[in-house]
Amino acid sequence: MRIGLRGRFMAFVSAIVIAFGVVLTALAVRVQNDRLRHELDERGKLLTIVVATHVTDSLALLDVRQLRRLIDETLGQENVLDAVVFDEDGRVLTDGTVENPSRHMLIDEAARQHAAVSDALLVEFSGDVISVTKPVHLGDQLLGGVRLRYSRAGLAEDQAVLGRRTALVGAVFAILGVLAAALLTEAVTRPLREVTEATRAISEGKQAPHLQVRTSDEVGELAAAFNEMTRRLRATTVSRDYLDRVLETMGECLVVTRRDGTIARVNNAACRLAGASEEELVGRHCGELFRAPKGYASLFHAVNPDGSVHGLETELLVSTGEELPVLVSIAAMDESPGKSGRYVIVAADISERLRIERQKEEFITMIHHEVRTPLTAVLGAIGLLDGGVAGDLGERGRELVANALRNSKRMERLVNDILASRKLDSGHMTFHLQEVELIPLVEQAIETTSSYGDQHEVRFELGETVPGARVRVDPDRLIQVLTNVLSNAVRFSAAGDVVKVRVSRHSGCLRVAVADRGPGIAEEFRDMVFEPFARADEADRRHRSGTGLGMSISKAIIEELGGAISFDTEVGAGTTFHVDIPEAE
Amino acid sequence: MVTRLGRLVAALIGSSLIAAIACGDRPDERAEPSDTATPALSGVITFGSVSLNPAREHEVFRPFVNHVVSRLGDAGIGRGRVVVVDSISQMVEELKTGRVDVYIDSPFPVGFVSKRADTNLLLRRWKRGSDSYRSVVFARADSGVESAADLAGKMIAFGEPFSTSGFLMPKAALVSTGLRLVNYEDAAASIPPERLGYVFSNDAENTLFWVLKGKVDAGAVNEDYYAGLAGSRISELKIILTTDAVPRNLVCVRQSLDPQITVALRKVLLGMDKDEEGQAVLKAFEETAKFDLPLGGPEQQLAGIMGLMQYVEEDLGQ
Repeated sequence: MRIGLRGRFMAFVSAIVIAFGVVLTALAVRVQNDRLRHELDERGKLLTIVVATHVTDSLALLDVRQLRRLIDETLGQENVLDAVVFDEDGRVLTDGTVENPSRHMLIDEAARQHAAVSDALLVEFSGDVISVTKPVHLGDQLLGGVRLRYSRAGLAEDQAVLGRRTALVGAVFAILGVLAAALLTEAVTRPLREVTEATRAISEGKQAPHLQVRTSDEVGELAAAFNEMTRRLRATTVSRDYLDRVLETMGECLVVTRRDGTIARVNNAACRLAGASEEELVGRHCGELFRAPKGYASLFHAVNPDGSVHGLETELLVSTGEELPVLVSIAAMDESPGKSGRYVIVAADISERLRIERQKEEFITMIHHEVRTPLTAVLGAIGLLDGGVAGDLGERGRELVANALRNSKRMERLVNDILASRKLDSGHMTFHLQEVELIPLVEQAIETTSSYGDQHEVRFELGETVPGARVRVDPDRLIQVLTNVLSNAVRFSAAGDVVKVRVSRHSGCLRVAVADRGPGIAEEFRDMVFEPFARADEADRRHRSGTGLGMSISKAIIEELGGAISFDTEVGAGTTFHVDIPEAE
Repeated sequence: MVTRLGRLVAALIGSSLIAAIACGDRPDERAEPSDTATPALSGVITFGSVSLNPAREHEVFRPFVNHVVSRLGDAGIGRGRVVVVDSISQMVEELKTGRVDVYIDSPFPVGFVSKRADTNLLLRRWKRGSDSYRSVVFARADSGVESAADLAGKMIAFGEPFSTSGFLMPKAALVSTGLRLVNYEDAAASIPPERLGYVFSNDAENTLFWVLKGKVDAGAVNEDYYAGLAGSRISELKIILTTDAVPRNLVCVRQSLDPQITVALRKVLLGMDKDEEGQAVLKAFEETAKFDLPLGGPEQQLAGIMGLMQYVEEDLGQ
């Protein structure tokens, strides 16, 4: 028969209570027995001393009648078996009776010898009898003494009575203890039963009842915790359904792996990309779905020590045999994943992006070969015409050639900017770094842009500088950036304006600040200032003369040099561009 | 000086005791059983006793008196009383004034009161199994005392002052040998050579041990107790004098008591040992065996005593 928790708990507590009661009762009986025995012994001794004190005068006067009365009274004391008064020779004077059959008898030899030499009590034990002898002296003279025999026989009876009473009390307390155990068991197991029934209801899909929290103790905490658990369980169920929907509708492929690398779960996108059903994918090894990235033995070998990796390009092996380029991010599901952890793999199809990349490459190649080369020839030819190689073209002819030359150069800048931008994007731009003074580079950039400023009646003013300050840069690239910033300032300045240039130290860098008094940058355009082909919607034609790539290229170059470019602007008040370059040590 | 003061105190205490008994007697009268207190009978008979323990004495006499009264209805007695006094002299007065009708005691007290009050000896009382008793005077065997004459200049211990066997008889016997006895309070007192000092030990056992321990030179006790008291040490002692035997107790009544009552009383007492109820009452009355009429009559029993009375009259009168 199976005994439930309630029964076991009750039996356990009852056993503890009863065992405790038995031990306590036994201890109490033992202590009480010892106490009774001790009290009895002490009473016997005390009584003997008292009697000895009282008989002293009568013994000195040899008043046997009085001694007989005293001993007769002593015999009436509880547990006293007999008592005698003896003389200095150890002979009994009286045993307290009129008949006095002990008269003249010698007391025990040991007691007699003790009385002859000592005034102290002599206590002798013989079975259940205690013999106490108290010598009586008057000064140094031994008068005799008192010998009293005390029975311990009543002690056993007293002890038995006491033991029975104690056992009875112990039994009553044991019964009360068992009743208390029953109440305690009910109090403890009732909430557990309720929790059990509620848990069963949850397992059967029923709604879990709300448990009553009756107390603030551990049991009450259990009920409260269960209620909280059921509440969170309901919330978790809702969250899990929501998460499932998100995972199933997301465009990226999601794969969850087990510790052995096999697939535990896939979403719809994974099935779609792999061309296989969930049943076909789950259980397969992840290596059968993803090719190992270049330089790694497997996908998991590319995972960083923290259990994650992002932006990893590899191929997804489609069931048809095709390989689909994907960008993979991996995150570990365990805190210490290692090589055998559980992972979530999110893979995005990048085949379309790669196709666009390839088209861009083809476009750049085409511009380089099909646009720039002929443009160089055109520029050469127009330059020759403008130089008068073909003789005097007349005023109208010179105007047309100048216009063709201007637009051809603009086209050349555009092509160069596009190629430079591509070089920066692809990391193919070469930098020849060297440590140089900054101020001469700034002055050279101002000089280079001065003619452009003159054309728009805008002049430059170099203010505060840091003489001798040095930077480690590619001088040509830095001049390219500064020229771009300066020409940009000219472009947004009104005729007659002054563009102020200052060089200062700022947060460990050398800052070149270029300030114009132009219209400022509109709020909505500020985030796009450094984007390629970004231009504010300005009506002024001069403002649209740039390629739209300058600031983007400048930002890329400065960042390659370890610096930064930023701006402060106020609509209607002007804009200041800051070019920060690390100062050489 | 001390003796006079002691007597004065004893007299004062005696008066108090009489008063105490007189007062204490009234409730007893009311409490007497109906079978012994017949409402139609107005006669009262009073028994007297001498004791320093009146309460105990009263308890001893009550059953006996009740029994006797219950059988004296024919004589018109419907009620019995017990009067306890603390001296024999007082008992003489009680008998003279008629407050006591019957007096039962040892031969010396009875002889003393008979000499001073008009009484008639009625019967002899057997007590503790014997009709008579004697006293012995003893000393340590190694004391060198061989006879009463050797006690001159020494100290003897008697029992209680009222005791016939413990004091009156041995004293009378010793005085009759020519010794002059003097009472002392302290057993260690110095005794003149021609005198015999005596102290009261107030207890036969005391007397024995005082002699054995040498506290006194000699002692006197009832012959019946001597061997028992001496026990295993009897060889250490020597009897130097044994008194003549005297009756245990005698019963006397005042002469003025109604002769019909006297006759009825004698008849009741003589018949008490004839039935079980009477025997039980007698046994409870200090182990009395019976009352009888000795050969030659009680007067002859008392005659020998009266010869010694002169030696102890002073003691009896205290």
